[in-house]
Amino acid sequence: MLTPGWILDSFAAVMLGVAALSAARLVLARSWRRGAGLADIDLAHLLMGAAMAGTLAPGLATLPRTAWAVCFGVLTAWFGWRLARDARANGTRALASGHRAPHLVHSAAMLYMFLALAAPAAGNDQGTAGMAGSPGNAAQALSLPTLALVFALALIGYGVWDIDQLSGRRYRLALAVTGAQEPLAGVSVSPGPAAFDSTAVGTTTADRPAARAVLLSPDTTVGCRIAMGVTMALMLLIMI
Amino acid sequence: VSDIAAPGERLHWPGVPSALDSGDGAAGRVAGVVRARDARRALQLALAGCWLLDAVLQFQPAMFTRTFSDTIGAAAAGNPAVIARPITWDANLVGHHLVPLNALFAAIQLLLGLGIAFRPTVRPALAASVAWAVAVWWLGEGLGGVLNGTASPLNGAPGAVILYALLAVLLWPADSVATTGRHRVGRAVAPFTAAKAIPAPLARALWLVLWLSLAFFALTPANRAPRAVGGMIAFMASGEPGWLAGLDRGAAALVSGQGLAASAALAAACTAIAAGVYLPGQAAACTLLLAIVVATLIWVFGEALGGILTGGGTDPNSGPLLVLLALAYWPATTRGAQERGRCRGSGRARRGRPSPARPA
Repeated sequence: MLTPGWILDSFAAVMLGVAALSAARLVLARSWRRGAGLADIDLAHLLMGAAMAGTLAPGLATLPRTAWAVCFGVLTAWFGWRLARDARANGTRALASGHRAPHLVHSAAMLYMFLALAAPAAGNDQGTAGMAGSPGNAAQALSLPTLALVFALALIGYGVWDIDQLSGRRYRLALAVTGAQEPLAGVSVSPGPAAFDSTAVGTTTADRPAARAVLLSPDTTVGCRIAMGVTMALMLLIMI
Repeated sequence: VSDIAAPGERLHWPGVPSALDSGDGAAGRVAGVVRARDARRALQLALAGCWLLDAVLQFQPAMFTRTFSDTIGAAAAGNPAVIARPITWDANLVGHHLVPLNALFAAIQLLLGLGIAFRPTVRPALAASVAWAVAVWWLGEGLGGVLNGTASPLNGAPGAVILYALLAVLLWPADSVATTGRHRVGRAVAPFTAAKAIPAPLARALWLVLWLSLAFFALTPANRAPRAVGGMIAFMASGEPGWLAGLDRGAAALVSGQGLAASAALAAACTAIAAGVYLPGQAAACTLLLAIVVATLIWVFGEALGGILTGGGTDPNSGPLLVLLALAYWPATTRGAQERGRCRGSGRARRGRPSPARPA
């Protein structure tokens, strides 16, 4: 017996949800008008969600493996370039503090996964990816399993870090609401051009419907990233 | 600021800006907090990461086969009946309901990892992790082979999962604080992170017991036999990638027939490490560094990274947890203590007022 299909399908459903959220964010926020700093994150989430859903549940597969590898190769190069630019401008702190380093790791992990999947079994001519336990798919294993472990550890590390940051910020916000009105007002100030773009999109929205505000909040972005990181680590380790 | 993240110790670890508020630092100014990490929270996050890794590994295809229940059942062998009977019952139960129970186990570990990483739930998650770890240590690992003579530092004694419980206790987010009403009137400066939640003598005693037990297990007859150490390391090479199998085979050849010498050296190192926490600052740090080196060597050569790369590992085994424990006992620096003192002083001065904004 392999990993049961219903478990993989559940994770695939989560990934589809992430992809749908990211698509909605792209549409609602009109991110492209604010520059690539916003669009790249949501686009990356959309592509990763769709690719992972298709890998977990073969029925949701959309593109051949090679096409996905090209997509994530481009995304990896993009985030690598952005990260290098940030590092040049802000020093090495940018490597630890920015949001591009985790996206670079996510993209590189996806690229590795699609490149390292063993050759498809006979009859799977399209070369679409599939998990070992997926019904109708031959068991597939990743080459260079040590790299899979390294990526999985990095993804889990970023996931844990993101949860801590997310909950810590919310915790501080809650305390600020009860104890310090003045600093809380700082949230309402639109960040300057150097600010993290998602924060600019999502923090203050008195005039925005609640659902839209939640959808566009940075917490949603980070939540998507956490879900994808954990799911990606699961996929990598299952396919070792 | 959050008492969960241990107030007054944020300056101990120089800050790294948040992934959420990088750039202008707006979110960091929200509550006027210093965007710094404390060592205990960092170790809690590492523990959360270990639980998440365990959860992910529990979803591997091999865990949904009879091999999993057979492995549990094998842990009963050699244990006293009072210990073995519940293990056998558990193995049978898992064998009959393999898929739902294994999925449940994975989900529990996933929730533990997420719960520890999520600040508002860190306390219940840590408490639940202790209960879960103790249950798994007994029903899943047969008390780590402590009672049946199979425990060895090289195979994860005294059971990796019990180290999770120990870490959860040592990293419990509470300080030994004397309070009067809402005002803190005094606090002893903990000499190391593990001594924040429990008294330092008790923390040192736990470390002493752990490493002395490892020294003892290294010298049991089964482990000091001439071919015991080499055989154990060579066995772990099976199914591993080439580089790791090569390392293991090389190490096995090195100690082949030298079981007694290797065990004695390991026991001596464990004894020195056990006593190290009673030494003054620099000497203690040296023994803790030795502990990290020994744990790493055990993880690579004795445990083969927990067998994760074979697709059959349920956890990373004891090596990384021993490293985390060593970090939890790392002596607090004088500079860190001074900064904490300043932080407490300024915190008292500012109490009742919002903190000023801090430049990004």
